[in-house]
Amino acid sequence: MTDELDFYAVDPAASARERRDIRALLGRCGLDYEEHIQVFVVCRDAGRLVACAGLESNIVKCCAIDPDLRGGSLSLTLLSEVVHLAYERGHSHLFLYTRPENVSFFQGCGFYALAEVPGYVTLMENTPVGIRAYCDRLRAQRPAGLRPDARIGGIVINANPFTLGHQYLVRLAAAQCDWLHLFVVSEDVSFVSYRDRYALVEQGVRGIERLTLHHGSQYMVSRATFPDYFFKEKGVVGDCCTAIDLLLFRNHIAPALGITHRFVGTEPFCETTRKYNADMKFWLQGDGSTAPAVTVIEEARTRAGGTPISASEVRRLLRSRDLDRIRALVPAPTFELLREKYLSKILPFAPDPLGHGGEPDAPARRAMAAGM
Amino acid sequence: MKLRRSMLFLPGANAAMLSTAFVYKPDSIMFDLEDAVSLREKDSARLLVFHALQLPVYRETETVVRINPLNTPFGLPDLEAAVRAGVDVVRLPKTDCAEDVEVLEREVERIERACGREIGSTRLMAAIESASGVINALAIAKASPRLIGIALAGFDYVMDMQTERGDGTELFYARCAVLHAARAAKIDAFDVVWSDLNDEAGFLKEVDLIKRLGFNGKSLINPRQIELLHNAYAPTEEEVEYAGRVVSAAAEGERKGLGVVSLNGKMIDGPVIDHARRVLQRAEASGTRK
Amino acid sequence: MKIVKEALAGTLESSDLLVKVSPGPGAGLEVVISSEVMQQFGLQIDHVVRDTLARLGVTAGLVVVEDKGALDCAIRARVQTAVIRGAEAQTIDWSALS
Repeated sequence: MTDELDFYAVDPAASARERRDIRALLGRCGLDYEEHIQVFVVCRDAGRLVACAGLESNIVKCCAIDPDLRGGSLSLTLLSEVVHLAYERGHSHLFLYTRPENVSFFQGCGFYALAEVPGYVTLMENTPVGIRAYCDRLRAQRPAGLRPDARIGGIVINANPFTLGHQYLVRLAAAQCDWLHLFVVSEDVSFVSYRDRYALVEQGVRGIERLTLHHGSQYMVSRATFPDYFFKEKGVVGDCCTAIDLLLFRNHIAPALGITHRFVGTEPFCETTRKYNADMKFWLQGDGSTAPAVTVIEEARTRAGGTPISASEVRRLLRSRDLDRIRALVPAPTFELLREKYLSKILPFAPDPLGHGGEPDAPARRAMAAGM
Repeated sequence: MKLRRSMLFLPGANAAMLSTAFVYKPDSIMFDLEDAVSLREKDSARLLVFHALQLPVYRETETVVRINPLNTPFGLPDLEAAVRAGVDVVRLPKTDCAEDVEVLEREVERIERACGREIGSTRLMAAIESASGVINALAIAKASPRLIGIALAGFDYVMDMQTERGDGTELFYARCAVLHAARAAKIDAFDVVWSDLNDEAGFLKEVDLIKRLGFNGKSLINPRQIELLHNAYAPTEEEVEYAGRVVSAAAEGERKGLGVVSLNGKMIDGPVIDHARRVLQRAEASGTRK
Repeated sequence: MKIVKEALAGTLESSDLLVKVSPGPGAGLEVVISSEVMQQFGLQIDHVVRDTLARLGVTAGLVVVEDKGALDCAIRARVQTAVIRGAEAQTIDWSALS
């Protein structure tokens, strides 16, 4: 009742003054301003900006409090306002990245740690029953009757779209395992919609025995587990981008299903993909976690006419409207769908995210991490 | 005669304050569901106040709830919550005319009947916050036997008058009008909130002014103001001593069956005796002025 | 009352609590409490929350409570608010709230 503190939401795109003040506050706190934030909750003390927290969909970013005002109730009110604002915008499940030394602070604000890259970053979510409930649901889907030392495989694909290459990998892995769990990345920012991608995968793996097809989740190759821009300026892009996602897989998802092996396709000519596969081996097999190691198995891609089949190649051909060449690379349902629905969505001169030069954009990076 | 020198405002959405404010001892505690609560939190604050009102600790202090105007979606639910929770007084904001009070009274009675509360037990208070309200002050003050007082609310009033809060000149007429209306209707009159907590001298100066004008009390927004206000309203030793003698003389006169009471050769009548009783009451509540 | 959508009430400030309700994955009622004073008061908080839910007729859903030292009256108020918001209820049955 006597506070001069004023909390309100601001659209950073709409006010240059607010943007300027936010940038200055973040700078004072050693943080960089991020362009993709859709809305900020800000706090002004008699007109002076003293705290801010941004939301990019369901991810809390750029959370900063003036050093003079830390330790009080301001931070609690700030986070309360962020949570309420996110709810109004349709996001009840929030994620947050922070340096490990700030974890206890956010724990006091109702966030719970999910995975940590020691010394660098911790991913948190705002519920004590998020990953726990998800893993409980996975556990309930574990097939019964398998021997204790069974070989249980896991594959994560974006399938944008589902190709003969994917099908080959899945069949190969299923043959080598007592059971295979196949996940389709659910983040819906790819060219082919999630609904279509999942449907094509479902059709494409029909008949393969000892396989469970899973919908993707927020905990696997999602915008939340992939802090694309978090470390850009800190120079640790390559290392930490995949670490959180892989740690979640090793520490939570794999144990829930008993996954012992993870299968990925190789691409011998792409340096970036080679690096990601190396990351996968490091985080799933190395000492960065006390959870049981998950063995990474790289399978060479199957080929058509000598060229490895990849979804990016299919998309490239689609852009050039080369349906004949596509036919040899994908199962019939995929071909039909591309021709019926997606051919018309091609925009002329759209940039190819995997083209030569330039950094791959976010969806593409995620796709690469999914082992495409 | 209920003392109402201090009415402490509490924001209805603040759980911490609602849980702890009973330690302060203002004459009345007002739970605010109106201006202190954001639109998003109206429903939440309503329930916080509904439950807080039922805490035993708040039974010892007169409770007031400032509801939202009845022509908003919040007003009626606020009223239901307040009456059913046993609030002592309902404060109606933005009272412009007698009919506003009449409408409120009808709704209060309906709710009392529905929940089995003694009809008439919920008292009312009208806040005047506009030029119209000031002009209609007398009609408002006489609009219902449930009214315990009328208050002048400064912030909205000065906006309606197209001016700003300043040294009090801007409230001159409004204060006098509200005061006269209250006295004519024989109910209490309350003055505006003083919001600059860093200016204690200014606060005390204003308290001195309104006390001398005759206001029964003032709305407060910070517990620190309670003691300052009570002390300013406290009578001096001499005043207490004289009041004591007046009351004794009145008692003596009554005992002897005298029609007229005198003190030091002077006649003292009803109003003088009432005034003396009020002085003693204030002294009893918070001692003499330090 | 039936929780039909996700809803939130309260704050993380001292003496308050944040209550989140959702239709819930299963058929029954799950209550998850997190509190700074879990050891001493966890059970009591759980009792007050469940009692409040029972009086509202809530038998299914997920209720997550982040407690910051709130009194029972605040717990009841915030749980009721979250449920009413989550049930998109238009009218209030006051006898169920006392």
